[in-house]
Amino acid sequence: MALGEEKAKNRRGIRGWLNPYHYNAERWAYMFQRVSGVAILLYVLGHLGDTSFFVGGPTGTGPSASSWKFIGSIFENSFGHLILILVTLILFFHGTNGIRLILTELGLIFKKPSAIEYPYRAKSLSSGQRYLIVVAIVVAALSALWAFLVLFEGMG
Amino acid sequence: MKESRLMLIQYGTAVAAVALVSVHLIMQGVIYPYSTAISFNNMLSIYQNGFYAIFLEALLVVVLVHGFNGVRIILHELRQSPPWTMWVDAGTVVAIVASVAYGTRTIILAIFGGVAG
Repeated sequence: MALGEEKAKNRRGIRGWLNPYHYNAERWAYMFQRVSGVAILLYVLGHLGDTSFFVGGPTGTGPSASSWKFIGSIFENSFGHLILILVTLILFFHGTNGIRLILTELGLIFKKPSAIEYPYRAKSLSSGQRYLIVVAIVVAALSALWAFLVLFEGMG
Repeated sequence: MKESRLMLIQYGTAVAAVALVSVHLIMQGVIYPYSTAISFNNMLSIYQNGFYAIFLEALLVVVLVHGFNGVRIILHELRQSPPWTMWVDAGTVVAIVASVAYGTRTIILAIFGGVAG
């Protein structure tokens, strides 16, 4: 392979994350960890903006009931609550999967590497990692259910 | 700062964020019903409780440092060159300082600002 081709192969950028060819569960979890992290950061920045309306918004000078009521009229509805449920889902996946990544980084759920043999599966990946990915998905689903029950309480 | 230390900060803020966000969500959806938790009077009493104000400030700093440092790590993975490194690192610091300042302003005004109708 020519040097240019090799460089291009190793520099696939975001397209490289999103191309599922030859992906295993850990690689999917890695990709989703990145995407969910960026999504959560965008939500947090939006949340900083909407909570600032508690004190009148960017030009406010103190707690303002009318300003808080105004921002509530925009976001406190079924659509806003569905967004919050989605945020809860990805937040809990990101948190639980992040704990898995820290445990892996510390070498606690990481098998010893050994010689490469057919069928060329990464031997360093332990079943513990796979279980924790499943745990992350289950925790995220339960948290979304909890958010649904909390947010839609009394709306009917 | 060394990259290994920045990764330790990333892991430290991750663990702290899991704990602080859990408490925040419990405050919003378990201790009070959601509609009560986001009512103006309840929010005012929470902001003006010194302990919870410090908690919110800690949550703000931890989440923003973790988030922007995470984006910095992603950007360094996508591309590597000395100017890129310098601009990404500088942009991360500016973004953290600006967003923490804006969030801190909300907390300070909620505590010390005059209440309007």
